[in-house]
Amino acid sequence: MIEYIVKIKNREGLHTRPAAMLVKITSKFKSDIFLSRGGFSVNAKSIIGVMTLAAEHNSELTVRLEGDDEAIALIEVLEFFESGFAA
Amino acid sequence: MLANLQTITQDRITVASVINSPLLRLPLRQVNPAVALERYITDKSLHRPQLALAGYVGLFTYHRVQVFGNTEVNYLNSLAAKKRREAFRTIVQFEIPCIILTNNHKFDPELIQIASDHGIPIFVTPYETTRTMYVLAEFLDTQFAEQTVVHASFVDVYGIGIMFTGKSGIGKSEIALDLVERGHRLVADDVILLTKKRDDVLIGTGTKLVEHFIEVRGLGLIDVRQMFGVRAIRFQKRLEIVVELEQWDPNTQYNRTGLDPENIEVLGVPLAYIKLPILPGKNITVIAEVIALNYLLRLYGYDAAQVFAERLDAEIKRKSAAAAGLSSGERMFPHFHNDFE
Repeated sequence: MIEYIVKIKNREGLHTRPAAMLVKITSKFKSDIFLSRGGFSVNAKSIIGVMTLAAEHNSELTVRLEGDDEAIALIEVLEFFESGFAA
Repeated sequence: MLANLQTITQDRITVASVINSPLLRLPLRQVNPAVALERYITDKSLHRPQLALAGYVGLFTYHRVQVFGNTEVNYLNSLAAKKRREAFRTIVQFEIPCIILTNNHKFDPELIQIASDHGIPIFVTPYETTRTMYVLAEFLDTQFAEQTVVHASFVDVYGIGIMFTGKSGIGKSEIALDLVERGHRLVADDVILLTKKRDDVLIGTGTKLVEHFIEVRGLGLIDVRQMFGVRAIRFQKRLEIVVELEQWDPNTQYNRTGLDPENIEVLGVPLAYIKLPILPGKNITVIAEVIALNYLLRLYGYDAAQVFAERLDAEIKRKSAAAAGLSSGERMFPHFHNDFE
């Protein structure tokens, strides 16, 4: 199990399109991936779950990954957050 | 899936947030409005400070809301003015969040002044003590309730709250949609907020942002309320059954008789639990309806598995009593004479 804190760099926050991009990335992996904010944790493979966080610019989220491919998954998730959803 | 849930609880709320809450159905008027309402309530229980007023403060739960009913008020009134002030001072020296007077009791202005000096707000309600305590305890129970978020679909099926869990992509949302199509009511999909009430009840709701939107793979987001109307949704429902969906695994033992119903604990509340393997040609929606109906039957006292087991026992007993068994000419399947259809 790995936990990592990520920050939202995009000015518009984690809005619908980046949420969809994130879900596409996380769904590729077998690991269970969760995002949490303020104690509430959602499944990072669920678009509705990710959107529920309504994460705004500069807010911090905790990514939790659990499974065989958690390390590779973390790298891709981090790249995504680092890019500021520019992809 | 439902183990190690992250829970959220408030450990304190201000007196102001209680008093100003539109959900509190208790008429209250502050007797000393000059006193600020910034003290914290840290306990959902209430306290009647009878013994504390009489002088015993050994186990005085001063951090609770203090309710003054007939006993407390009449006791204070029975004392001489000086004794009365002393008795009241014994309790206000503690960090009491607030005092509530029931039955529209009038309080000695001197005592009100003492409370104000100690920064303790006093409220008065026309409700009698029992009703006050009942309403307030219910409200505080909700305020201090444990909450958690789970990734699942939650549907009211024939009045029974069924929550479907399972890995992402196994088809939870599709089952919810199918159940809605068959006339059942969607509570929420993907993000379910569970709130524990009264130690043994879990209430499931959706989030304000999502409400009754669901995602169907390949289609995208769908608003069930707009599409199917208000009869297809509800905002909250008690959770009674957890159905875990999983790919059929030949090495897993699935329940075959239903004689030993399984339970699962969620936030410490025991719930009926069914592990359901997904197989081609298996209609989970219909099975979900049957799960709800079977649960209802059991609730009303008819346990199909039990009835069947008793039937079998009776038959075995009858046969061993007859000793001769099948040799008596009796057949295993009844044969209807003269029925040639």
